[in-house]
Amino acid sequence: MLGPILAVATAALPSPPLPPSPAASAPVISAALTDTTVQVKSDFRGARIVLYGAVFDAAARPSDVVVLIRGPDQPVRLTRKQKVVGLWLNSRPVVFRGAPGFYRAASNRPLDDIATFGVLRRLGAGVDHLPINAPAEQHIETRYGVRDIVVSSLGPDYYDWRRAVVRLKEKSGLYHEDGRGVRFVDRGLFRAEIALPTGAPTGVYRADILLFQDGKPVSSRARTLTVEKVGLERALYVWAHDRPWSYGLAAMAFALAAGWAASAAFRRD
Amino acid sequence: MDIYLPIAEVAVNAPLIVLLGAFVGFISGMFGIGGGFLMTPMLVFLGIPAPVAVSSMANHVAASSMSSVIAYSRRRAVDLRMGAVLAAGGIVGAFAGVELFRWLRLLGQADLVVSVSYLLFLSVIGGLMLMESLGAILRRRRGDPAPPRRDRRPVWLYGLPLKMRFPRSRLYISVIPPLALGAFVGVLSAIMGVGGGFILVPAMVYILRMPAGTVVGTSLLQIIVTSSLTGVLQAGRNQTVDIVLALLLIAGGIVGAQFGARASSRFRAEELRAVLALIVLLVGLRMGLGLFLTPDEPFVLLSGTG
Repeated sequence: MLGPILAVATAALPSPPLPPSPAASAPVISAALTDTTVQVKSDFRGARIVLYGAVFDAAARPSDVVVLIRGPDQPVRLTRKQKVVGLWLNSRPVVFRGAPGFYRAASNRPLDDIATFGVLRRLGAGVDHLPINAPAEQHIETRYGVRDIVVSSLGPDYYDWRRAVVRLKEKSGLYHEDGRGVRFVDRGLFRAEIALPTGAPTGVYRADILLFQDGKPVSSRARTLTVEKVGLERALYVWAHDRPWSYGLAAMAFALAAGWAASAAFRRD
Repeated sequence: MDIYLPIAEVAVNAPLIVLLGAFVGFISGMFGIGGGFLMTPMLVFLGIPAPVAVSSMANHVAASSMSSVIAYSRRRAVDLRMGAVLAAGGIVGAFAGVELFRWLRLLGQADLVVSVSYLLFLSVIGGLMLMESLGAILRRRRGDPAPPRRDRRPVWLYGLPLKMRFPRSRLYISVIPPLALGAFVGVLSAIMGVGGGFILVPAMVYILRMPAGTVVGTSLLQIIVTSSLTGVLQAGRNQTVDIVLALLLIAGGIVGAQFGARASSRFRAEELRAVLALIVLLVGLRMGLGLFLTPDEPFVLLSGTG
């Protein structure tokens, strides 16, 4: 009879939430971030954010924790060098949609050991399962009497292109998959570190913390993280985008005045 | 001493950028070129997105040219009238070039045209200029007299209508060749994303037959006009000018340009041309190499969604 009583109590007092009862049968995961905003200033050199949380499971079944952090979506424009009459030239650019500007998957053991391909694909867990595609290259046609087949004009090279998106983003530190990124520090208690590189895009990030048991997600929590420019950096960015002409004129007027001032200062006579 | 750039959204080493600005400013002040073809690859190498590098550089080019052109004008080495004619052509050419570039991009051939024009113009101009200037240096070493010019009054300068007096350059020529030259450089600068000084300087010497003393200063004057225009247009249309990056480059550039303008008076014109030719040729060959070598990574991320 404890379950319904707790439910009533939670409904009456929405905050602070009561810790999940150890007697409750369903396992529950809970997590929080040490910082919920990252301020980008002139000395911004990237940031480290710690995520910590706990698994509440009375039955103490073997549990896996997966942390997925996605930055704001940024379309990716990609080109491939092709040999044309002996010269290496860029091909027509291909735009991939659905690519987050920042992505990190951390888990206590490699994702492939935690869940099956299908489960990971459905959750978009892991760099190989991100829902990246190139809609402009796709068309739907009927093949062998089967309707609505999605065909990419990139043909069999499509997977090379898609892999290249992930590879290049990994190289610039924006995508990362870490099969040891989540550490259990005590029974049911875990922590993960998120490293944001300097090139991390500004915007709202979403962290999904998933609890897996027997290869299935049984509980999840979502947290948000805001990366924002502050102070002078923000003022300049807003100026450049909201009043681009006055910004451009001011920048050029300053440049010309600086040139004139230097020449006056260096005048020898 | 890293500093975060608000528009480029990357952090760069501030003293390194100031030094780079000073180095390119020195070359700009010495040879009368903008130095964009040197600066862009270096900024991109430092991790700055190419559109931001190209746009912010326009401010640096304008500042360092302004800095050195005043030094040149005190030495009476700027032909204001010729500069105005070249700049007028350049403005028309730049607008036409922007349209031409958009059309090439629609055809999917922009990359081919940019790569080939870099290779072609840098190596051909660099090569020809190097040969000519080395020949002049050798002749002077041996004490030979300069070979007589075969046609002292070429028809394209004197046969065309609309003649105009350029007293500072001691020329009385048709206004059409400098206008066309300015327009041509404007088109190229829109396509290649550079100021075009490395084409303008030899063209003024060999085609317009301007006296060596006024070439550098006049070229700088034309560069100020075109680079100010591109800088403002880039900021207004693409929002790609990073004022912090421009500030760092300018801080070095205006000082470097002063020393460059001062140093140029210590060398003979043909020696300066030989060094400039060497720089142009090396950059051209380096770019050409990229066209012929098999790349390690066949895929390249482009910035912006175009």
